[in-house]
Amino acid sequence: MKPFDIVIVGGGGAGLYAAMEAMKTNPGLNIAVLSKIYPNRSHTSAAQGGANAALANKAKDDTVEMHIFDTIKGSDYLADQDAVEVLCSEAPKIIRELDNMGTPWSRMDDKTIAQRPFGGAGRPRCCYCADKTGHTILQTLYEQCLRKGVIFFNEYFALDLSVDGSRSRGLIAMNIKTGKIEAFPAKTVIFATGGYAKMYWNRSSNAAGNTGDGQAITYRAGIPLKDMEFVQFHPTGLRKSGLLVTEGARGEGGYLTNALGERFMSRYAPEKMELGPRDLVSRSLETEILEGRGFDSPAGKYLHLDLRHLGADIIKSRLPQIREMCMYFEGVDPIDDPVPVRPTAHYSMGGIDTDNLGRTVMQGVYAAGECGCVSVHGANRLGGNSLLDILVFGRIAGRAAAEECQKFNPTSIPEGELAEKEHELRSFMQPKGHYERYGALREELGHTLGMNVGIFREASKIKLGIKEIESLKERFEHVRVFDTGDIYNTNLLQVLELKNMLDLAETVAAGALVREESRGSHTRTDFPTRNDEKWHKHTIYTMEGGHPKIGYKPVTMGRYELQERTY
Amino acid sequence: MSDSTIQHHEESRDVTFRVHRFNPQVDSKPYFDDYTIRLEKGITVLRAINYIKEHVDSSLTFRAFCQAGICGSCAMRINNMSKLACTTQVWDELDKAREPGVIKVEPLRNLPHIKDLVVEMDPLVGKMQKYSNWVDSKMPEEQWGKKEFLVSEEEFLAYDKATDCILCASCVSECTILRAHKEYVSPAVLLKSYRMNVDSRDAMHDQRLAGLVQDHGVWDCTHCYRCQETCVKNIPIMDAIHGIREDAYASRGSKDTSGARHAEAFMDDIEKKGKLVEATLPIRTNGVVWTLKNLLPMAVKMVIKRRTPPPPPLVKASKGIDALRKEFKEMTSHVGKDHEKKSGE
Ligand SMILES: Cc1cc2nc3c(=O)[nH]c(=O)nc-3n(C[C@H](O)[C@H](O)[C@H](O)COP(=O)(O)OP(=O)(O)OC[C@H]3O[C@@H](n4cnc5c(N)ncnc54)[C@H](O)[C@@H]3O)c2cc1C
Ligand code: SF4
Ligand code: SF4
Ligand code: FES
Repeated sequence: MKPFDIVIVGGGGAGLYAAMEAMKTNPGLNIAVLSKIYPNRSHTSAAQGGANAALANKAKDDTVEMHIFDTIKGSDYLADQDAVEVLCSEAPKIIRELDNMGTPWSRMDDKTIAQRPFGGAGRPRCCYCADKTGHTILQTLYEQCLRKGVIFFNEYFALDLSVDGSRSRGLIAMNIKTGKIEAFPAKTVIFATGGYAKMYWNRSSNAAGNTGDGQAITYRAGIPLKDMEFVQFHPTGLRKSGLLVTEGARGEGGYLTNALGERFMSRYAPEKMELGPRDLVSRSLETEILEGRGFDSPAGKYLHLDLRHLGADIIKSRLPQIREMCMYFEGVDPIDDPVPVRPTAHYSMGGIDTDNLGRTVMQGVYAAGECGCVSVHGANRLGGNSLLDILVFGRIAGRAAAEECQKFNPTSIPEGELAEKEHELRSFMQPKGHYERYGALREELGHTLGMNVGIFREASKIKLGIKEIESLKERFEHVRVFDTGDIYNTNLLQVLELKNMLDLAETVAAGALVREESRGSHTRTDFPTRNDEKWHKHTIYTMEGGHPKIGYKPVTMGRYELQERTY
Repeated sequence: MSDSTIQHHEESRDVTFRVHRFNPQVDSKPYFDDYTIRLEKGITVLRAINYIKEHVDSSLTFRAFCQAGICGSCAMRINNMSKLACTTQVWDELDKAREPGVIKVEPLRNLPHIKDLVVEMDPLVGKMQKYSNWVDSKMPEEQWGKKEFLVSEEEFLAYDKATDCILCASCVSECTILRAHKEYVSPAVLLKSYRMNVDSRDAMHDQRLAGLVQDHGVWDCTHCYRCQETCVKNIPIMDAIHGIREDAYASRGSKDTSGARHAEAFMDDIEKKGKLVEATLPIRTNGVVWTLKNLLPMAVKMVIKRRTPPPPPLVKASKGIDALRKEFKEMTSHVGKDHEKKSGE
């Protein structure tokens, strides 16, 4: 294949924005987007709530400055302040740009883009399209990429970076429809492969494929990861499936209640109540359950999200998708009954370590979106800031790659690497005396993470978790792929995804163990307070001998001094 | 407050999934595999076939991603109807099963087959491209991001529902015309085209419309309502199709084109009979020769394949002739208004 200037891995919001911007920056470039699912199916489509921007349409006194402060405070002061400044000052522009290209934002009476309150924000600044915000943004971007003639390699699964010393030669990927392993020599590669929260499996709101492939690929190629221990739990996952009821439901005025009928948030965040930041609300739910004030059922303990008082009209017009989901997956119509919920693993703050232009330490390799870590979310992401992150930094990475690729020489990928990969994949299909089923390992991984590296963490449990992950990694060696065909082999793909999750799970657990403090989403019951003196720093992971080695990096400060975080 | 789930006894039973299998690498022709598993009430079809893949047969191949009815990956034919596996309850399907306890699962139709339950989506993407399924902004690209468009409630509502489409292709799979004419624009693409054409921010309405009235375009639709009945997001697709037709009728007005002739015949039918006589419609529109050449082979093909030809596509019978007459009047008066609006601009 002829060498590309830019290969973008991932067709979610981050990848598509990168593609558009790269084409805009230099229409002469040879750019490809490669995605393991059709881009419009990416997990960005699941974002219901909205994207933050200080447009000041709703609250006239809202400012970019306030958005910056809310984000830094929300991050428990672990975000890099220069990056947050970029995020928030670009926000109004990016929301308008999406409007200009066709995103169907909900409107207010004065015809401007509507905004609603969201957790952890001082003003109502979350822009939305009913409860299908991510879906409509993704559709718009996909449509615009089709308009611009972006070249898509749909249903291609990225396997490895090809590395030559300190630079990348491009990407090795499998064409899912044919099973063929193909080389994508490229001057630059942008990873935009989304998050890794699916490693919590049944206790995750994520799509089946949010397995952290990009993070695992770069990690194995020697690129450092950052802040992996920070995994956000969303307070309101549906009890049975872990699927999400958007924060928008609370933004519209929904209550959280326990088995005693109390609006228990008054105990934890008397002012913000249900609209406190995610980590705090999730911990509150978990505490209510642990202290015995939850409901019991065969599918586990849970609490209630009560929307009934909003009335049928509001529920139907503003939260139609949520209503549908409650009916399909819980058999509950929120108009008539409270919705059974419990916290669910939702978002990965950690990711591939990049600078403010999306660059990694390896020449020609970039990352953006949930798979990257700039870091704008620090120890805890605010609702509505992730869609913003993927758009803003997707665009920046696209532009940076388009500009920088001119400086790099074209490359080629040695044939031998493809043959080697082919051999490696085939070996999964060899009959083994004793074999393991990937489905079982996947479930066990989710279970051990949920139990030992979940919302509340402590040394002894995390150590147990690490042991179990190690033993799962050993058992993985015996996993057998029974589908030996080439065409659309999802059996093989799911095994490869499991491998990625296992590698990353090790970093999450290792980070959770070393960080002896509680900050944002990371709560150590044995170290219940934030310890700025020792731990106001990023954790950095590099792979050594197949396991993570942890280092540190300072947090970039700016206008805002460290403060205690209360709501 | 009583909580029903606490006393809830999960009911369970054996269910057989009769799944269409075909791997072009090894199979000479498709066949069905029966998988019988014990399931609890409340489980979706997707969870069930996931279970089969994990525990019984790992080679069973299908697409699924979000598991929440939003990504559009998992559309397949379940008991002869295209729908999302992840939002379909097994127990509901058991009620519909022809053979007790057996749920039939097949790939979508009208798209090239790849393996088991997976079909090729590229043709649909190609059509989205062909019919410019994007907003071509009234604002030049250099100015994007500086200010937002002002969009009124009315303008917003015009496209709101259509933006629910998740491109799952269920409607494509059930479309009667597509079964014979693979080049046909497709219901989802008509819906998307309509959504773009009514967007007040879009600048290529006329050009897009011109494409839609060409061969294989909007006039080929038989108004069978099957797409709308199928839509997994309950989108009134027919409103979009009618909308495009009205629009085309209004902006062309001429009686010479095949499309407009078709429209005339269409309106005639509704006015006189309160229903569409699709059997005669092609003849009146295209002439006898065209009909024989193009539509007869389709009927013959279907007989050869021992498929029942599509049921005579009536406009929903429940509506009654008066309602349809009224609808027709509204439609025609609307056309007039629309026209004025446009010339007034
Ligand atoms: C249920 C839910 C609701 C949410 N709601 C909100 C919200 O209201 N507001 C908000 O701001 N954020 C929200 N988020 C978070 C936000 O949606 C995500 O963080 C964001 O969409 C991630 O976008 P992305 O472009 O980085 O990745 P994704 O959209 O996940 O895209 C990843 C892409 O990478 C591709 N890919 C992955 N691995 C490979 C591989 N090996 N080879 C090839 N391609 C690959 C995939 O095909 C996909 O195209 C929500 C998240 C969830 C789970
Ligand atoms: S109404 Fe038209 S588009 Fe819809 S299924 Fe029938 S022929 Fe196809
Ligand atoms: S119109 Fe409905 S059925 Fe057709 S692709 Fe869109 S969502 Fe699916
Ligand atoms: S898996 Fe996404 S719609 Fe069913």
